[in-house]
Amino acid sequence: MGIHGDKGLEIRLDAVRRRFGERIVLDGLTTRFAAGEFIAIVGRSGCGKSTLLRLLAGLDAAQDGHLDAGGGPLAESAGDIRIMYQDARLLPWRSVADNVALGLEGGRDRIRALALEALAQVGLADRADEWPGALSGGQRQRVALARALVHRPRLLLLDEPLGALDALTRIEMHRLIERIWREHGFTAVLVTHDVSEAVVLADRVLLIEDGRIALDQAVGLARPRARGDAVFAQLEGRVLDRLLTVWAINPRNQLRGRVSAIRADGILAEVEVEVTDRHGNRDKVISTLTTRNLREHALEVGSEVLAVFKSSDVALAK
Amino acid sequence: MSETVFWKRLKKRAGQGLRSRGVLSWLVPALILVTWQAVVQGGWLSTRILPAPWAVVTAGYDLLLSGELLRHLGASTVRAMAGFVIGGSIGFFFGLINGGYKLAENLFDTTLQMVRNVPHLALIPLVILWFGIGEEGKLFLVALGVFFPIYLNTFHGIRSVSPDLIEMGRSYGLKGAALFRQVILPGALPNILVGVRYALGFTWLTLIVAETISATSGIGYMAMNAREFLQTDVVVLAILLYAALGKAADVAARLLERRWLRWNTSFLAA
Repeated sequence: MGIHGDKGLEIRLDAVRRRFGERIVLDGLTTRFAAGEFIAIVGRSGCGKSTLLRLLAGLDAAQDGHLDAGGGPLAESAGDIRIMYQDARLLPWRSVADNVALGLEGGRDRIRALALEALAQVGLADRADEWPGALSGGQRQRVALARALVHRPRLLLLDEPLGALDALTRIEMHRLIERIWREHGFTAVLVTHDVSEAVVLADRVLLIEDGRIALDQAVGLARPRARGDAVFAQLEGRVLDRLLTVWAINPRNQLRGRVSAIRADGILAEVEVEVTDRHGNRDKVISTLTTRNLREHALEVGSEVLAVFKSSDVALAK
Repeated sequence: MSETVFWKRLKKRAGQGLRSRGVLSWLVPALILVTWQAVVQGGWLSTRILPAPWAVVTAGYDLLLSGELLRHLGASTVRAMAGFVIGGSIGFFFGLINGGYKLAENLFDTTLQMVRNVPHLALIPLVILWFGIGEEGKLFLVALGVFFPIYLNTFHGIRSVSPDLIEMGRSYGLKGAALFRQVILPGALPNILVGVRYALGFTWLTLIVAETISATSGIGYMAMNAREFLQTDVVVLAILLYAALGKAADVAARLLERRWLRWNTSFLAA
């Protein structure tokens, strides 16, 4: 019995909103993924890209808006949607083949045959009876891919699945994922930090910033794509530029001020910065860093400084 | 790893252990035994204080022939097993529900933690009042001693199962009993087995105390009976039997670990 991908799911997001407390992570996101399309989502950490993926996986629910798959509510297609995580999340107490067979129903022999076939697709049929602990990081992710494939997903979600792998293994995995995607024809949504990875794999690269789509870049290059290619580099540069611009002009993440005090002991140091917000109110922010780190900056009381921090790093304390 | 590979590796490791330690490590115990035998035989040490090792062996042989030994050994083993099963099941049950459901934890955990602070052997006078010197009292004490190690380790085992794996299991369509059997229980098993080993230790300890205080059969009874007739050889035999039974239980628990945790490379290396 073969594993033949059904046609990919078409996904529609309409004004999707997700808040965590006061923080709006997805702010009225609207887009459409065509059936069989390969979408890459890039953005800084905390921009909401992983939240979007969790919504698509049904692991989280939106507060507003609609998520539709194949013309119906997303939840009705749950069986057609599979996710690959940043870590492989294999069950260490089950053999590789039994991990791939997770959640399959039917006779023993049939399940085993399906698992072996999926493992063969990722080139690991010969490791079927080993424990996951004996595999390398790249091999574990290939097993996780096989585990997703065995269910013949119509939408495959990839949550930075290659983030922890070395450069060479990543390139191998890109080829593998692209080949399997072309064979199966599922819709793929890849969340990644790596713009070059997005441009290599995707038909469209979406840049998410502050819960909205800041850039929707079609990638019309022929496959398989070569990284050295001039058009490739141009596209990659464009997305990167946009990513960096958004980062640099975001005023909420920067505070300009003057150092008003420095306190240091042997290990930790506190730098007190007097800042002025856009309404002219003066306030103090305190940055804690290691004393060793402090020595690397030529800081003294009265220095002009720019305090920069990620929006995702802000914690509120009373 | 296949079964045969696993056993081969086990045998190999055992072989290495024998070779590296060699006969040398048994030299000191052998010397002690010989000296002990010589000292008692030479009359320097009264047999009332300590019998000669050979006397212990012959006492054991005589009791074996008369059937006494097996009767007492059987009685103690049955008590240990029954108490372990009763206390272990209850501990396992509470560990599961308190580990799995916040409501159950809020409801029971504080109470159980309070009871845990009472040394269970301190209850002996009360237990004798409640149950007399029959079987129930001893089963109660053993079960109580076994309950806490199993409860605590099951509870922590369930809690320490990676939420990532549970989420993964759910997203692959596992729920309820299937999720429990395939993800939660195997994930908690290393901790549960640690609890089992502790509990086995408590089983024998509790039984020794309970049987010496009040019993009409069992190894403890055999020892106390022998004390009244100044049969030090039988007393020493009883002590050695307890040691052997404790060791056997520990070996059994280790075998279970090797069988059930063979996927755990960090465990096999240890």
